[in-house]
This record gives sequence, C-alpha cells and structure tokens, in this order.
Amino acid sequence: MNPLRESAPPVSSGDATGHTPDSWWRGRSELFVGVLVIGIGAFLASQTLTMHVPDTSTGPGPRLFPGLVSGLMVVLGALLVLQVVRRPTTAPQEEGSESADVVDGSVEGSEDTSATAPAEVRGGSEHTGSHSDWRTVGMVLAAVVAFTLLLQPLGWLLSGALLFFGVSWAFGGKRPLFEAAVALVYSAVVQLAFVAGLGLNLPSGILGGLL
Amino acid sequence: MDTLMLLGGGFASALTPENLLWAFVGVVLGTAVGVLPGLGSAMAVALLLPVTFKLDPTGAFIMFTAVYYGGLFGDSTTSILMNTPGNSSAIATAIEGHKMARRGKASQALATSAIGAFIGAVVSTAVVAFFSGVIIDIALRFGPAEYFALAVFAFVATSAVVAQSMVRGLIALTLGLGIAMVGIDAQSGAARFTLGVPSLFEGIGIVTVTVGLLALGEVLHVASRIHRQGPDARPVKTGGTLWLGRGDLRRAIPAWLRGLGFGLPFGTIPAGGSEIPTFLAYGTERKLSQLRARRGKRPDEFGKGAIEGVAAPEAAASATAGTAMGALLGLGLPTSATAAIMLAAFQQYGMQPGPLLFERNADLVWALLASLFIGSVMLLILNLPFAPLWAKLLLIPKRYLYAGITGFAALGVYASSYAITDLWLLILLGLLGFMMRRYAIPVAPVLIAVILGPLAESELRRGLAIGQGDVGVMFTGPITLGIYAVILSAVGIVVVARVRSSRSPAETEEPKTPSTV
Repeated sequence: MNPLRESAPPVSSGDATGHTPDSWWRGRSELFVGVLVIGIGAFLASQTLTMHVPDTSTGPGPRLFPGLVSGLMVVLGALLVLQVVRRPTTAPQEEGSESADVVDGSVEGSEDTSATAPAEVRGGSEHTGSHSDWRTVGMVLAAVVAFTLLLQPLGWLLSGALLFFGVSWAFGGKRPLFEAAVALVYSAVVQLAFVAGLGLNLPSGILGGLL
Repeated sequence: MDTLMLLGGGFASALTPENLLWAFVGVVLGTAVGVLPGLGSAMAVALLLPVTFKLDPTGAFIMFTAVYYGGLFGDSTTSILMNTPGNSSAIATAIEGHKMARRGKASQALATSAIGAFIGAVVSTAVVAFFSGVIIDIALRFGPAEYFALAVFAFVATSAVVAQSMVRGLIALTLGLGIAMVGIDAQSGAARFTLGVPSLFEGIGIVTVTVGLLALGEVLHVASRIHRQGPDARPVKTGGTLWLGRGDLRRAIPAWLRGLGFGLPFGTIPAGGSEIPTFLAYGTERKLSQLRARRGKRPDEFGKGAIEGVAAPEAAASATAGTAMGALLGLGLPTSATAAIMLAAFQQYGMQPGPLLFERNADLVWALLASLFIGSVMLLILNLPFAPLWAKLLLIPKRYLYAGITGFAALGVYASSYAITDLWLLILLGLLGFMMRRYAIPVAPVLIAVILGPLAESELRRGLAIGQGDVGVMFTGPITLGIYAVILSAVGIVVVARVRSSRSPAETEEPKTPSTV
C-alpha cells in the first residue's frame, strides 16, 4: 500500500524461473491483458466491417472512427504482448510492494488462513502467476451479482443489506449477527435518505406492502 | 470592474443558506475522501452524480467543486502523520512532511500544508475569475479543427506523456474510445457495437463507466490484497499550536509562491491531475536548498524534514484545481479525472461547458466561482485546527467503508437509469477497473476518452465534411498547428527521456504513484 516504497527491481517473481513447469508464466500473466486487448480490437473491427450504415449519411461515415480505434487496439495489444514476453513483470511497483507484503508474513487470518497462505499462492497453484486473493475478490463479486439478481424481487432494503453484508464479510467480518445488523441499518438509512430525502425511486420488492 | 460586478453577483447567490450548506457538505466529503487512502475526489463525484439528479444544478456543482478542492486539502494529512498519501497528489508532500512529523514538527507541517493549499486554491480561482474574458476570447476562435486538436492533445497528454508506460496509457485510451462509441451514432443513425441489445442503443452511461472503473474497481482491487497487508501504520502524535513561527513563515512563503508557479499553468494542461507539478515543485525546492547550503546560507534540510518540501507541493497541487476549473468552464476541456466527471455532470444537466456557458449560464458560473472562494475558507478552517481529528477517519473499519462504497455504487448506477442491465455493465466495468489497477494501466485516460471521444469524433467528421474529404483541413490555422507542435514536442521529450532512463535505470527513478484517481 505504501507507494513511497522504493521500487525494488522485480526480483520477487522472476526468481522462481525454472523451478516449476509453468514458471515461464511467472510475471507474464499480463499476456492475458494483451491478448484481451487484441481480442477486443478484432471484435470491434469485425463489427465495424459488418456495420449497417444508413444510406443517408454523407461525408465520413460512422465507420471511420471505429476503424481507426480498433486498428490501434490490435497494434497496442500486440506491443504489450511483445513487451511482456521480453521483460516479464513490467509492473515492478505493484508486484514489488505486493510481494514484500506477502513476505512480511502478516496474513490476517480470516476463518481459513491456509487458503491465503503465501506459500501456497507462490507455489504456483494458479498458473497465471497471480498474487491476488481470488477468494475475497470472488466473494465481493458474488455479492454484487446476487444484488443484481435480487434487487427487483427483494427490493433495496433486503438486497442492499445483503450486498453490504457480503462485502463486509469478504473483507474479514467475524460476527455474523452483528454484521447483518450493521448491513440492515445501512440499507435502511440509505432508503430513508435517498428515497424520502432526495426522491430516488428504489424498488421496494416483497416488502412493498409494509413500507 | 466588470468581473468584480459579476463576482459580486456570484457571492450574492453563493451566500444563500442552501448553497452554503452544499458547499459545506462538499468540503467535508472532499476532505474525508482526500484523507482516506485509495479514495479520491473523482470517485466521490462519480458516486454523487446519480443521487443529485434532483438538485438544482448550482447547488450540485457547488458541492462537486467543493469535493474537488477538499480532496486536495485532505490528502496531505495522512501523508504527514502516517506517511500514507491519501492521493497521488500528496506523495511529494509525504517525503518531507512525514519527516517533519517524526522530528516533532507535525503541527507545523500540517499548518504549512493547509495554508499552502489555501493559497493555491484562492490564487488560482482568482486567476480564473479575472482572466475568464481572455479564455473565452480564445475559445470563441475555435472551429472543428481546433477542437479536434485539443481533444487529441488531451488524449495524448493523459495517455502517452503522463502515464508511466506509453503502451498501457494508449491501451487505456482506446478502451475508453471504444466504450464511448457504443450506441446509435448521432450523425448517421447507425447502431454501433450494440449487439442488438436495445438498452445499449443509448450508449453506456458515464455514471456506469466512472462508478465501475473507480469505485467497484477499487473495491475489488482492495479485496484482492486486504488479507495480505501488514498492520496499518499509526499516526504520529501532534502537539503544540497549529501555527507557524516567524522563522517558518519566512521559509514557507517563498516556497508557497514558487509552488503556485508550477501549479497554475499545469491545471490547464490535460496532464491527468496535480501529480506532475507537485513533483516539479518538490524537485525545485530540493535543488534550491542544496544551492543555499553550498553558499553557506543554511544547511540543506531535505531528507530531514524541510518545510519548503511541504509548502511548495501543496500550493502547486491545489493551484491546479482552480485553473483546471477554468479550463473546464471556459474551454470545455477536462484536465483531470475529476474535471472529466464534472464535464459529464454538465452534460447531464443539458449544459455544455465552453465559452457559451459564460453567456447562457452566467449565474451558475459566477456563483460557482464565488463559492470556490467560500469553500477555500471553509477548508482552511476545517483543516488547520482539526487535521489530527481527520486522521481518525482511518479508524473506520475497512470492511464497512468498502461495503458502504459498493452499496452506494450499485445504488447510484441503478438510480441513474433504473435498468438492471446497467448493473451487469457495472460488474463488467468493475472487473475491467480491477484488471487495469492490477496491471498498472492508468484509469484517467479511459475517463477522458469516454467524455471527449464523442466530441473528437464529431469534430473530426464535421471538419472532414467541410473539407470534402481533404485531411489537410484538420491541420490549418495557427492555433491548430500550435497545439500539434506542443503535442509532438512533448511526445519527443518523453521518448528521449524514456530511452535515456532505460539505459541507466538507476539514475532517473520515477516516484511511485498509487492507482487513485
């Protein structure tokens, strides 16, 4: 987190080279980003080519700009791939401080410490060479997806509370009842402030009759 | 004289209880997001945008600009007390500021930074108010070619020049341009990249993009490392009076003024915010200090907590905010992420910043400028004696903070359109924002591209249509050629500097920047 940390040379992940079969991917997970950018560019280009253009348009049409942008995207994606292949871990400040934090060894235990233990992550269980804590990210994402699915049937009060609870739990909440109470207070306060106060129209869902 | 009359009218409408309340809410919120690391004024304004639909535009903009200014006041508090910059604009302050605090001069450092921010904010706002006529005169001469050149300037400056990696910056730019093109093309009626989904015909809402990239992206990014962090730093205790002695003042005043000199011009350049001028100001002070030491005037205190190292960057940072508002209001040119979101807010209220804004919405503009002076005074009062109290915000458990932000993000996106599809888009954009943070792809170029992309495209097509296909029309006129010359020379300088630094990497160590926007 501390951005003032001197940018250590990217030793952390590069060191592992040659120890595990998938070690070539260490520090090269960004290849995925380059490929994704190329993919998006190609997709936009194909969409531009097949675009239906109304005859009425005069002058440079609606395909000029998309054509330029999608072409640029493919080139830039390829350049990124090239950069990452030649010099892995080109984001030293992120990776450097991150791995330093991991080495510091203070893994704040949630209910399941072993899942986030540095050794396992660094051992290459994820072949993309990621240091990210996918479990927590997954829980946050699941909470947002659940909110999206439940907002209209359940209403803001319940689905908003569920979203708050899900995120605070993922971030290390430990007392389910207390966190749930905080979450309900949050969604209720928002409901009062924005529906009653600012006139937003939030779905009331199954509690509609009661409110 | 004219300006004073207009400004007087502005003060009259800014001093109503309602507008004072919005300014106060704005400065409190702005200081809070400034103090909290990872949160910035851009995210705060993006989250406020959908829930302020029903406000009167003057009140809403007074609040937004107060948040912007507040962020630049608050960000130095944790820099000084805990060596944790609240925002990228306060990294330079942290270098000497924290060392001052460790030497027992925390109060002096906080006062230096608050007063410096105040001077920067007030002087830059005054410059904008009194030179607005000049800005408008220039802006009125702009045609399609000039506006296109200006947009290209903003694109290149934020993505290629400022970003640490040119390729990553340009990727961010093209992603933003791609997002901006989704929807029905206004000029021809062609549906672009909508995949036949009706709710995409109107394009992807700016609220969804900013909230997804800035708020949800940040939440996911923090989630990916929250269980991996060491214990949080503890703030240094402050004691004594928050005021500067005569000796401190004698050193701080010239540094404040030099900082202003860096901040004022940089606010008008689309360089993605106030980071660069703060480092330029810091570097200059350090060199001057070495020079003084060599002449035997005063020992070089840099590295041990020099007051000049706090004064100059803080004045520079907040001076950019004022001139950035000037560029936004007068030219319609957003020069920072927060200004870009404010431009989107203007569009949402059906207003187009630019020279005509001063004619059509003169009341709003002058009330806004007047309220910036009022807000600066409020911020000085809030930050000077109470800075240690603000640092207590860090005691809020992170899980509640980020849960609250997630809830607010989802609420805002839904409330801006009442469409569940937008929530799915929010998730996609949040993942994109997370990926960009993880791989150090800057977010600001995406926002600038999303907001200026449509303008760039329509001006390009209009210009080409006038020239009947002749590309040469886009490169005529002194203003256009001047802008392109600046772009080319800036890119040239950056390329040369990068090539040099890659040959001797140890020599030019760029300071690190957090992903905050």
